[in-house]
Amino acid sequence: MSNLSSLSFYIPELIIIIAILLVIVLDVIPVCKKYTFPLSLGAILLASVFLWQSYGESHGLFMGMISIDPFSHFFKMIFLLSTFSIILISRYEKQLDSNYSAEYNALLLIVLLGMFLMSSSINLIMIYLSIELVSIPSYILAGMLKNDKESNEASLKYVIFGSFASGLMLFGLSILYGITGSTDIGVVTAALQAIEYPLSIYFPLILILVGFGYKISMVPFHFWTPDVYEGAPTPITAFLSVAPKAAGFAILIRVFYTMFTLEGSVSATLPLTNINWPTLIAVASAVTMTLGNLLAVQQEDVKRLLAYSTISHVGFMLMAFAIISPDAVRAIMLYLFIYLFMNLSAFYMAIFASNKLNAHHINDWDGLSRKNPVLCAFMALTLISLTGLPPTAGFVGKFYIFAELFKHQQFYWLAVVAILNSVVSLYYYFKIIKSMYLVDVEGEVNKIEAHPVVNWSIILFSAQNILFFIYWEPLIGFIEKSINLWSG
Amino acid sequence: MYQDFLPIIIFIVLAAVLIGVPLGLQHLLSPRKNKGGDKLISYECGELPEGSAWVKFNIRFYVIALVFLIFDVEIVFLFPWAVVFQDLGLLAFIEAFIFVLILLVGYVYVWAKGDLDWVKMNVRYGKGRYANLQSKGETS
Repeated sequence: MSNLSSLSFYIPELIIIIAILLVIVLDVIPVCKKYTFPLSLGAILLASVFLWQSYGESHGLFMGMISIDPFSHFFKMIFLLSTFSIILISRYEKQLDSNYSAEYNALLLIVLLGMFLMSSSINLIMIYLSIELVSIPSYILAGMLKNDKESNEASLKYVIFGSFASGLMLFGLSILYGITGSTDIGVVTAALQAIEYPLSIYFPLILILVGFGYKISMVPFHFWTPDVYEGAPTPITAFLSVAPKAAGFAILIRVFYTMFTLEGSVSATLPLTNINWPTLIAVASAVTMTLGNLLAVQQEDVKRLLAYSTISHVGFMLMAFAIISPDAVRAIMLYLFIYLFMNLSAFYMAIFASNKLNAHHINDWDGLSRKNPVLCAFMALTLISLTGLPPTAGFVGKFYIFAELFKHQQFYWLAVVAILNSVVSLYYYFKIIKSMYLVDVEGEVNKIEAHPVVNWSIILFSAQNILFFIYWEPLIGFIEKSINLWSG
Repeated sequence: MYQDFLPIIIFIVLAAVLIGVPLGLQHLLSPRKNKGGDKLISYECGELPEGSAWVKFNIRFYVIALVFLIFDVEIVFLFPWAVVFQDLGLLAFIEAFIFVLILLVGYVYVWAKGDLDWVKMNVRYGKGRYANLQSKGETS
């Protein structure tokens, strides 16, 4: 589709672009400075309305640069929801300097735009550009606390790691272009089918996996995760642990299912001839979750603990990615959706604790249940969900992944590793619950109330854990409709 | 198909030879006794170096360079556009206009935030350990 006629299918992105520019301009006009916050939220709401209306459409836009399809729409809804919630809650985070709130919101909107492009790009150049558009504002956001040493460290480590990983990925993309002669992934797919030397495909495949693996913090490209998550402002940590990871999975699924499978579509069931990348992913998945869990056990800082826990969750999602089938994609998407709620509510609780109690260490959470019993009950629910125990949505997500794994019958050893890991994760999640409920604090305990927005964000996001356990039928139906990639 | 990569192999071999041969030659020919002294001074086209090269540059150079770079790249993009401008018509004009407009927003932002001023009139030092510092421009 030509550039001009593409624009009518590109309205959500255009709204975000205009909002970014307006936020930057309004920030420098002293009278209008206070409007940047409602403007950012309003733009996201407006974009979601337009996105919802265009759900189900499937087109290739801008002469084969990006595509809109139900698959990308599903991920865009995740991005909009998480960005909206993060912008809202950041206003009530004490750490952040309110003088920079306009820049902060503008950067979050730029990341949102980048993630939109990431979930829908179908051209090698566009893939690289969209990943950079997500990464570069994230580096700045991680260092948003200008006078905080750890925040600066987080930013710098993120930059060095990010640029190295994207350099390697760019190298992989260039080799792919070299052996196929096109940047359009449809053409690349067709050309790759004809190549019989596996070595020349393995090389770009692994290099591309480095770039994507860094975005979703897959071991061994996870080293930035704990330091960045610990140093960055907590809302940004929450954001980075959910939205860019979802975008990373979106692009991973799109690229690998179209380029490196025999059928070249999301309904694929076999990898490219002679290219055994599912085993590669399976090993990476086992290492990712084991390392994430084992290191999380030793952590005493809540944010760092949650950082390692997100690594182990990525391992779980990769487990389903090792099985090539549409049902596995469905399991990943379901898990991502549930993971969004449980992870955000856990991090919001960390925001509450650091705002009111200046608590970063697990020991600082001692006896929190007596100070705010309602929020602690919901936090306990979230933690049970993160572990994946029954009366929660985390169990549903894990159940679907394990079901796919057993149905496929290839990676039984991976299932054993995963079950052992679930047991390990029980220990460190319950360490927080133990600290909240079982450790007694001496003396008078004052009740602590969270700000209503923070309070209701935690409760709403946490309550989904019980909702999707009881009633996930429409969700899985919606996801099934969404597994539909645009192709040529 | 692997034969297509032959030029690359030749390049790799050539690169190794071109570095290896001079290094080996100077290893063979160079006198071994004269070490230290003037030999260790960094070569500045015959001039004796003054002071250390490890000095701190003012961070203002960095900001100006960054802003300059953005508009430099803009020009790089506009040159090819200008060459084929007449064939592309009105649509390309509007597209380039939007492109320049977006960059202009960045320019306005940088200007209004005072990043183009060499002497900063109002600097905020935030909450942390610089909270008690005051910039020289501030009168209060």
